Amino acid sequence: MKSPDSLSGHPFHNLRLRIRLPFFRTLGLLAAVLLQAGALPAEDPHQPRNIEGRRGMVVAAHPLAAEAGMAMLQLGGNAVDAALATAFALNVVEPFASGLGGGGFMVIHLAEGNKTTVINFREKAPQASFPEMFLEEGKPSRRLQTAHGLSVGVPGAPAGWDYALKTYGTRTLKDVIEKAIRYAEEGFTVSPTFSRINKDEYEKLLLNSGEESVYLNNGFPYEPGDTFRNPELAETLRIMADGGVEEFYTGLIAEKIASAVRGHGGLLTLSDLAAYNVREEPPLYGQYKNLTIATCQPPGAGGLHVIQLLNMLESRDVKKWGPNSTEYIHFFSEALRFVFADRARWMGDPQEVTVPVKALIGKKHAAAVAGRIQPDRILGSYPPADFPETEHEKTSTTHLCVVDRWGNIVSLTQSIESFFGSGIVPEGTGFLLNNQLGDFADSTCSPNAPGPNRRPVSSMGPMIVFQDKTPFLVLGSPGGTRIFSTLGQILINVVEFGMNMDEAIEAPRFFSYSVEGAPRPIHYESRIPSEALDRLMALGHSLEKRSPYDRYFGGAQGILIRADKNLLIGGADSRRDGHGLGY
Amino acid sequence: MKKYLILCLLLSPVVFSSLLGTAEDVRFDQPALITSAGQAAEVHLANVLFKRAGLTATLNKTAEAADLEGHKTLILVLGVSLKGLGAAGIDAGHEKKRVESLLLAADEQSIPILCLHLGGEARRGDLSDQMIKTCLPHAAAVLVVKDGNKDGLFTAICRNHNIPLIEVEKTVYALEPLKNYFRQDRRP
Repeated sequence: MKSPDSLSGHPFHNLRLRIRLPFFRTLGLLAAVLLQAGALPAEDPHQPRNIEGRRGMVVAAHPLAAEAGMAMLQLGGNAVDAALATAFALNVVEPFASGLGGGGFMVIHLAEGNKTTVINFREKAPQASFPEMFLEEGKPSRRLQTAHGLSVGVPGAPAGWDYALKTYGTRTLKDVIEKAIRYAEEGFTVSPTFSRINKDEYEKLLLNSGEESVYLNNGFPYEPGDTFRNPELAETLRIMADGGVEEFYTGLIAEKIASAVRGHGGLLTLSDLAAYNVREEPPLYGQYKNLTIATCQPPGAGGLHVIQLLNMLESRDVKKWGPNSTEYIHFFSEALRFVFADRARWMGDPQEVTVPVKALIGKKHAAAVAGRIQPDRILGSYPPADFPETEHEKTSTTHLCVVDRWGNIVSLTQSIESFFGSGIVPEGTGFLLNNQLGDFADSTCSPNAPGPNRRPVSSMGPMIVFQDKTPFLVLGSPGGTRIFSTLGQILINVVEFGMNMDEAIEAPRFFSYSVEGAPRPIHYESRIPSEALDRLMALGHSLEKRSPYDRYFGGAQGILIRADKNLLIGGADSRRDGHGLGY
Repeated sequence: MKKYLILCLLLSPVVFSSLLGTAEDVRFDQPALITSAGQAAEVHLANVLFKRAGLTATLNKTAEAADLEGHKTLILVLGVSLKGLGAAGIDAGHEKKRVESLLLAADEQSIPILCLHLGGEARRGDLSDQMIKTCLPHAAAVLVVKDGNKDGLFTAICRNHNIPLIEVEKTVYALEPLKNYFRQDRRP
C-alpha cells in the first residue's frame, strides 16, 4: 500500500509540482502581492462552483477532511473507508460540529448486490435517565439541556464508524485514522467560520472546560489565521488506532468520559458506555415523482420530514411557481408548520414508543394537509395529524458524501448537537462531548421525553436519491430543525428548478415552523427579493431577516450522479467551509 | 527569492497591533459595569480581558439603569446576536430600549462609557450596525478589533463626535490599551 505522501495521482500533489516551476512561482507571488495590495478582487466564496469527477468524489465541511477522504479513495479504499477517513478528520478540523463524543446516521449504498442500508449510531440516554431530568423548579432548563453533564448522551460515533468499517469497509481503523492524527499534531489554519463559532460558544467553553481549554487560545477564542493544534486528540486517536474502539467504551478513555460527565452533574456511567450498541436498519423509503429517497428511520427524523414535504409539494406545479416566488415560499412554509406539528405529536425513539411512520409519509396524509393550505392567506393554526391505531407500527448533524469508482455511496450526517457540544472535554482527551440529550422534548408526556437508553429524536436526514432505481443524488446537511427544510429546498432546486448541484446549495433559503399549532415567522436569507417578501407579509406571514448566506440554514453537501454522462458533480456549502474533491 | 520577499513585505499591510488614536485625555475608573449591547458572546471576552488586566468589574449581560449604582465606568460590548437574544429571552427591540435607557442613565450620572467591539467583521450587519450607531456617540472612547472596522464605520462616527478610537489586530491585544485607560497616573 502506498503511503498518503506518495500519492502520485493526488490533485494537491500535482499542484505542488506545478508551483515548483519558476514561471508559476513568479506568477503566484505576483498574484499574492496584488491581492494583498487590493489590486485584484478577492474570490467570492459564495459563487456556485461545481466540483467534477468521473471516478470518485468526496464533499465535506472542511478542505482537509475532503482531502483525507480523497487520499483514501486514491489509495484504493472504497466509499466507506473514505467516508470514515473524512469523519475522523472532521473531528480534528471541524471539532465544533462532530466527533468522537457525538453520533449520527449513515446511509450506505453498495453497488454490488444493489443493497442500501442505514447505520444508526445516535447517542443514547444513560440508564439512569428519567422524564423530569431537565426540569428546574418545574420548568425545562436550557442550561441543563445544553451546557451541563445531564445533556451528554452515550457517544455513538466511534462504535458506528468501527461497525461500518468492519462490515462494509476494506481498511483498518489505523488506516482511516492516520490523516486525522497528522492534522491534530501538525495543526491547521483557523478559518473565519471556526473563529466566529468559537467566539459564539465562548461562554459555554469557559464554563465547562475553562480558560485552559484546548479549544481556546490561551483563554481566548481562536482568530482567523491562527494555527490550531490538538495534541491531546492526536494521542486519543492513536490509542484507538492501536487498541481499537474498545479503548473508548471500556478502557481509560471511558473512565475519563464518565468522570467528566459526572463531574458536571451528569448521569452517564462506565456501564452505559460499555452497553452502547449500534443499530443497522433498513432505510426509510419515500417517493417523489420518479425519484426514490432512501434515508434513515426515526429517531433520525429529518429524512422522514423531507418525504412529508415533498409529498405535499407533489400536488402543486412547483416548477411554474419558480424559485423565490411568493407562492412557493408560502406553500412550503405552511407545509413546514404542519410537519412541525406532526413532529411534536408523533416523533420518538421507535424502540421505545410507537411512531406511525407509514401513515406520516403516506400520500393520503400529504394530500389532506396540502388541501388545507390556502393560496391567499396563512391558516394560523396547524394541528398534528391523528391516525387510527391500526395504522401505527413499531419501526425504528456535519454532513459528508462519498462516491467511489465502483459506485458505492455513503451519505453521512453526524453531530455533537450544539456547536462545541456540551463544552465538556474529558481530561486530556482533546474531544468534546455532545449535548444531544437536549434533543429530548420539554414535555415529560411527549413520545420524545427522556428515558433510560432512549435515543432522542434528531433532525438529521442523510439521503441517497434514486432515479428509476439508479443513484442520482447524495445529499445531507447540518442545521438542527432547519435540516429538512434545507434538504427539501435543495432537492426542489435540482429536480424542479433545474439547478446544478452547487447552485442548488448556494441558492437563497428560508424556513418556518409552528409551536403548539401557532405559526412562527419565516426566517429568510436577505437575498430573497423584496417583492416576494412584501407579498408574503400581505398573506399574513411575519418575517425575520437573516444574513445573505446564513449558517442558521445549515451547511449542505451533495453529489449529483449523472450516469448518462459518466460524471459526478459535487456541491459544498459556502455558508460554512464546505469543500469537495473529485478525480 | 530575496527580492520577492522584500517586495511582498513592502506591499503588505501592517500586520501588528496599531494604535490609531492616543486617547491620552481619557481616563476611566474602577469599578466598571460590563454589559452587552446586543447579547453577542463577546461580552464574556471583555470580562476575561478585565480579569486579566487586574481590573475590578461586574459582568451583567442585561444590566439596567439601576445596576449602574456603585460603578464608575460603563463598558458596552457592541454586537447583536440573534442567538444571544434568543438565549436571553428578549428581542432586538427590547434590547435597544434597554441599552438606550442605560445610555441615558450613564449620561445623567456622568458615568463615562467605553465601547468595545470585539467580534470583528463577523459581528457586523444591519442589527449590529444600528446598535453601533446608537451607542457610539455616547462613548468617551472606543476600542475595536480591526477587521470590524474595515469599512471605516467606527472611524467615521468617532471622527464626527471627536471620540478617541483604538484599533487592535486581535482581541488579546486589547489588554494593554485597557490597562492603560484605567491607569491612575493618567490625566483625568
